[in-house]
Amino acid sequence: MSVRKYRYWKETVFLIILAFFFLFPFGIVVLTSFRTQQDVVSGGVFALPNSLRWDNFPEAWRIGKFRVYYRNSLLVTLIKVPTGIFVAALAAYPLAKYRFRIRDSLFAFFLLGLGIPINIVLLPLTILLYRFRIRDSLFAFFLLGLGIPINIVLLPLTILLKRIGLLNTLGALFFPYIVFGLPFQILVLRGFFRGIPDELIDAARIDGCAEFQTFWRIILPLATPAVLALFIIDFLATWNELLMALIFIHSDEWKTVPLGLMYFQGQFASSYPIINAGVLIAILPVLGVYILLQRYFVSGITAGALKE
Amino acid sequence: MTKGLVRLQRLWSAYWLLLPALSIYVVFLLYPMVFSFLISLYQWDGLAPVKKFVGLENYRVFFSDPASLLALKNNIIWMLFMIAIPVALGLVLAVILNERVPGRTAFRAIFYSPTVLPLVAVGIIWSWIYNPTFGAVNSFFRLVGLPELTRPWLSDPKVALYSVILTGIWQGTGFPMLLFLAGLQTIPRELYEAAEIDGASRIQSFWYITIPSLRETFVIVVSILMIGSLKVFDLIYIMTWGGPGRLTQVMSTWMYFNTFVFHKAGFGSAIAWIITVASLGIAYPYIRAMSRR
Repeated sequence: MSVRKYRYWKETVFLIILAFFFLFPFGIVVLTSFRTQQDVVSGGVFALPNSLRWDNFPEAWRIGKFRVYYRNSLLVTLIKVPTGIFVAALAAYPLAKYRFRIRDSLFAFFLLGLGIPINIVLLPLTILLYRFRIRDSLFAFFLLGLGIPINIVLLPLTILLKRIGLLNTLGALFFPYIVFGLPFQILVLRGFFRGIPDELIDAARIDGCAEFQTFWRIILPLATPAVLALFIIDFLATWNELLMALIFIHSDEWKTVPLGLMYFQGQFASSYPIINAGVLIAILPVLGVYILLQRYFVSGITAGALKE
Repeated sequence: MTKGLVRLQRLWSAYWLLLPALSIYVVFLLYPMVFSFLISLYQWDGLAPVKKFVGLENYRVFFSDPASLLALKNNIIWMLFMIAIPVALGLVLAVILNERVPGRTAFRAIFYSPTVLPLVAVGIIWSWIYNPTFGAVNSFFRLVGLPELTRPWLSDPKVALYSVILTGIWQGTGFPMLLFLAGLQTIPRELYEAAEIDGASRIQSFWYITIPSLRETFVIVVSILMIGSLKVFDLIYIMTWGGPGRLTQVMSTWMYFNTFVFHKAGFGSAIAWIITVASLGIAYPYIRAMSRR
């Protein structure tokens, strides 16, 4: 036992040193956000604050217009995430369970569109692929990895959104965000649906369930774990998105949190404590979701998906 | 007869269920993609009603324009660093955290946490750390009596790109770490136990059991990181804005600036297609290799 303990000595020291470097930026942000400008300029960044200045947070919230950005980001995520996952589930069901001629080409077609820049989405996918160990889903995975970069649709979408009158409203973000979430969600849900025994569906049909009822009452509830995981992943991805918001939204009134934070920093670049307070305000929801749900998010999916 | 009718009905509902996804897809992805290719064949400012057809000229210009080639080169440098360091570090961390090290859950959370942050916030945090006057890095060098090492990290042409790359590494190491952790859990413990009985050292087990067993994970991780590198935008945009001058432009920011700032819509669309083709090209060998097995 003591030999075992000794074995982890070096590793633990290495982990602690590295963890220090990983936490260091967070520490600097927290430390700066509680000080006065005067204190930062004269005391240096490493000194402990003279006194904890909580006022920076309400002030950043107010002058940074975070109320508006929070409202917009919440609106976008709360409407987009469930809608997107529902649309994806609708499509994934026939792709998993029906037999029709162009099914597989349709599936490949959806996958080709994957262009999710946020790496976070790819992790659970890989885990799921380990679980199902299906050659064609690995193939699909690479189609996914390729992705079509968002860049390619930015300009045409701007023109299109302008034409249908959605440019510079929250509605501009709605459909593009759904599009870039769909392929991944379809892939994951299709995988889950395929794991559901056909007998269940047949039984529901014999009992007289219509196709949509079968889907809504039997299939979707069974996929709850997958749907929940997708909710978390898609929440983070949607909340963090910058590039499309930057191009489609111009007026302050409709800016999302990342976009608003960017402008806030541009405007008050040298008010260091206020900027850092703003950063904390902006990252609190994602850190909260991650920390609260990480067991589910990481080990839950990993353990559940990898060990059959 | 009824059987045929039921089948027809099912077929009908298959398409009905697919309809919402398909229509959003076609309107907001496929149509814009085709549109984008057409734009890339023109010289156009993105606004004026007049466009001038130039064929593939925009693509030719890209490969003879020093500023564009610099963006390409920077992107390749970014890619090389983002493959080498996060993969090596992520693998080492995963191997350690896969053992019963005390506090492994907390450590895993710490190393992964930067990955969930909005990149805008990451960029702002590190811009503050790199601040030439009050930032943590320069303050540290002054504190330990090495003032000659201080510099404006994000505006010094020699180091600006690498400063942003360091931020990218901080943000991007957690992801390969988790993938490797997932991969490691598929390796049967018995393999290691057998090796230990045969007198293999831990280093030997690592080289002869761990690395070969993770072959598939490596392929996945490297291709995702390469493709991700081609899409890098937020960090460069927030931290250097492609500057000083155009020295830290990468493909995605260069596309953005040309299309939406310099009003060279045709040229910008050509860059977007070059990014797409490059990302397809990178992944193609992997797809072939994987689909053959």
